[in-house]
Amino acid sequence: MLFIELFIQGLIQGSTYAIIAVGLTLVYGLLRVLHVAHAGLFTLGAYLGVAVTNQTGSLSLGILVAALAAGIVGMGIYRLVYEPMLNKPPYVALIASIGLYIGMEELFRLVFGPFGLSFSSAPLQTVVVVFGIHLRACQIIAVVTNVVLLGGLAWVAQKTRIGTGWRATVDDPQMSACFGIDPIKVRYRVFFAGSALAAVAGVLVALLTNLVEPTMGAVPSYKSLAIIVLGGLGNVMGTLIASLILGIIEAFGTIYIGDFLDRDAIAFAFLIIVLMIKPTGLFTSR
Amino acid sequence: MSAILLAKSVTVKFGGVTALDNVHMEVEEGEFLSLIGPNGAGKTTLLNTITGVVTPVTAALSLGGKDITHLSTHHRIKLGLALTHQIVRPFQSMTVQENVAFAAGYKKVRNILSSFTSVSRAPEMKKAMEFLHMLGIEQYKDQEVSKLPLGVLKRLEVARALAIEPKILLLDEPLAGLNSQEAGKLADTVKSISQKGMTIVMIEHNLSEVLRISDRLHVLDNGRNLAQGEPAAVMNQPEVRAAYLGS
Amino acid sequence: MGLYEISLATGVGIYIILAVSLNLITGYCGQISLGHAAFYGIGAYTVALLSKMGWPMYLTLGAGFLVAGIIGTIIGLASLRVKEDFLAIVTMGVAFLFVGIVRQQEFLGGEMGISGIPSHGMSKPGYLALVCGFAILSILFSWYLKRSWMGFAFDAVADDEKTARVLGLDIKAYKLTAFAMGTAIAGLAGGLYAYYTRFIVPDTFGFIESVTILSMVAVGGIGSIFGVVIATILLVLMPEFFRFINDYRLLLYGVLLFSVMRFAPQGLAGFFSYLVKRKEG
Repeated sequence: MLFIELFIQGLIQGSTYAIIAVGLTLVYGLLRVLHVAHAGLFTLGAYLGVAVTNQTGSLSLGILVAALAAGIVGMGIYRLVYEPMLNKPPYVALIASIGLYIGMEELFRLVFGPFGLSFSSAPLQTVVVVFGIHLRACQIIAVVTNVVLLGGLAWVAQKTRIGTGWRATVDDPQMSACFGIDPIKVRYRVFFAGSALAAVAGVLVALLTNLVEPTMGAVPSYKSLAIIVLGGLGNVMGTLIASLILGIIEAFGTIYIGDFLDRDAIAFAFLIIVLMIKPTGLFTSR
Repeated sequence: MSAILLAKSVTVKFGGVTALDNVHMEVEEGEFLSLIGPNGAGKTTLLNTITGVVTPVTAALSLGGKDITHLSTHHRIKLGLALTHQIVRPFQSMTVQENVAFAAGYKKVRNILSSFTSVSRAPEMKKAMEFLHMLGIEQYKDQEVSKLPLGVLKRLEVARALAIEPKILLLDEPLAGLNSQEAGKLADTVKSISQKGMTIVMIEHNLSEVLRISDRLHVLDNGRNLAQGEPAAVMNQPEVRAAYLGS
Repeated sequence: MGLYEISLATGVGIYIILAVSLNLITGYCGQISLGHAAFYGIGAYTVALLSKMGWPMYLTLGAGFLVAGIIGTIIGLASLRVKEDFLAIVTMGVAFLFVGIVRQQEFLGGEMGISGIPSHGMSKPGYLALVCGFAILSILFSWYLKRSWMGFAFDAVADDEKTARVLGLDIKAYKLTAFAMGTAIAGLAGGLYAYYTRFIVPDTFGFIESVTILSMVAVGGIGSIFGVVIATILLVLMPEFFRFINDYRLLLYGVLLFSVMRFAPQGLAGFFSYLVKRKEG
């Protein structure tokens, strides 16, 4: 029973990682940049989601506002941060992104205070029993939401013109430009979508833990970076699978190797072991 | 005359595509061999296999009688190969003279310890001038490479390759992108290097220059050996004409 | 110089050694390391453990230097196998793994770290002189390296590694050497830190610290010894000068990092040479 419970926990956690990591891997695929500040949008989403829900009593509105706001901020980040740095060596964008993230963390602390924000009355906390396992409603909603969002993203990527444009631009920006696909528009869309997803993940995590604090984006951000390497930089499907695997490994790892290794380091231990065996990652990059 | 470079049974695959299929090539010491063939024939792939940049499915490669098939790229270079790229790759952070001087100091950077203990760059800067002079670009010696015209950069590629004092010079389309006057001049320069005794293998599309300066031709088509031999004789072969002109 | 100033200067000296050592890896050989603090930590822990066992300072510092360098070489060997894009993340992984593993080991003091590290036995000004001496040594070493043919080779590797390989350079050996030297010197800095604070905790040597060191190199101008030293002094002293806006320190720091990369990516060194060019031309 413990086995299944751990497995489910792992999937829930992994699906949250997937939502965050997807934006990161798409940005990498497009710009070859490690968008560390992505985590800031996760935190922004959490704060806005909780704040709006507390004000209006509607969780759905909270999620919507969070996603939209984060999407817009994400596009702004592309325009103001990455676009001017595209022809510089990669460490420039990386360090700028880190500086931006630190700034965002601090802004959250100064605006919302260091002690964190909680739901005035946390929704979806009722416990449901599924196949003998006790899960809170929010955990089920989290998984369902993540699956729906990722499925939606995959559908857009595969079946719509916009999605084809994304994939073409990731594969070959110049060629896709020849086909009339505007790479700039694609970039804005990717940043919007990725940031919105991160924000939704933030609200979901806020639901699960009922605490939003300024540094909450740090740990998921680090793990997402490990995940996108495992999944293959730019490879959405690979990232999704790697996220789920990581979630499960963490769930089991904490129990079985928690004596030797801190929980948060498990992601990187897994990453390094995989890379030693297969230097190209679990799946190939695009 | 002995074969200084032997490439036998070279098969290279990229994913599902067979770039080279059981290709053989022999290069005699001191000769000027041109490797020709239509686009996509596998010429650059063959050179890259010889230098080790590309890993073949099968190959038997030997340089100066020594088997180099399983050696890493820098090992093979140390044994006497030098390569110039189709798309020039000068070191952006160095001037023209520094580019060649670095190559000229190849003995000093061959092992870590000697690179650590060697400081003086003056002898190599001097040596670099010889090579720059040989290629006719000494007036550019202090220039940053980012602003130089292609003709100069192509010559820089060759000068740098010569500076490591190789046994064989592999040139990948040295004349590409040059106008006919520049191309003719560079071709003459390369010929004079050959006449001094350097073994040269050159990939080129510029057939008029190729026919003018080569000792021998080796033709590839679609990843396979098509013909080899004396330039005029080879160009007269119907298969060769067909490959180039399509029939 | 009051006790406080001496203490501050000692801290600056240790950071200079750290930043200069990272500059060897990142600046000279072009490899972005986000895990440098782990080697700082390895040096600190080695010295802490050995000095508590009674070893004299010159031996413990030597051991810290060697152990960090050896582990650095092993990790360098491993990281050479992965693609360039991955290197930053793998080194980040090293940063987390170091803290993650050390925190769980009893004999390393676990989360609480190691306290009661023996005194260095020197006066505070004397120790400052020692630290400064090592800082100057590392600067001179970097300067020598830059002028040597090894530095020339590092330039080539950082510039265009594929071309350098085709000129006969053993890229792996050079990258590994840069790694070994940089991590060993970081280990030395760690040892000096251990004697300075006499109390070390694992969290000091994590990812955040690695980023801090990297930002000193980036703000200074990757590859420039002079720039890196100035930037380190400024960045270490900045929180002290801005005590009055203590609450906004970290925010300013983030803004600074971002602004330098956005507007002057060549760092202080680049800015300085730009000023010089303007004066001349």
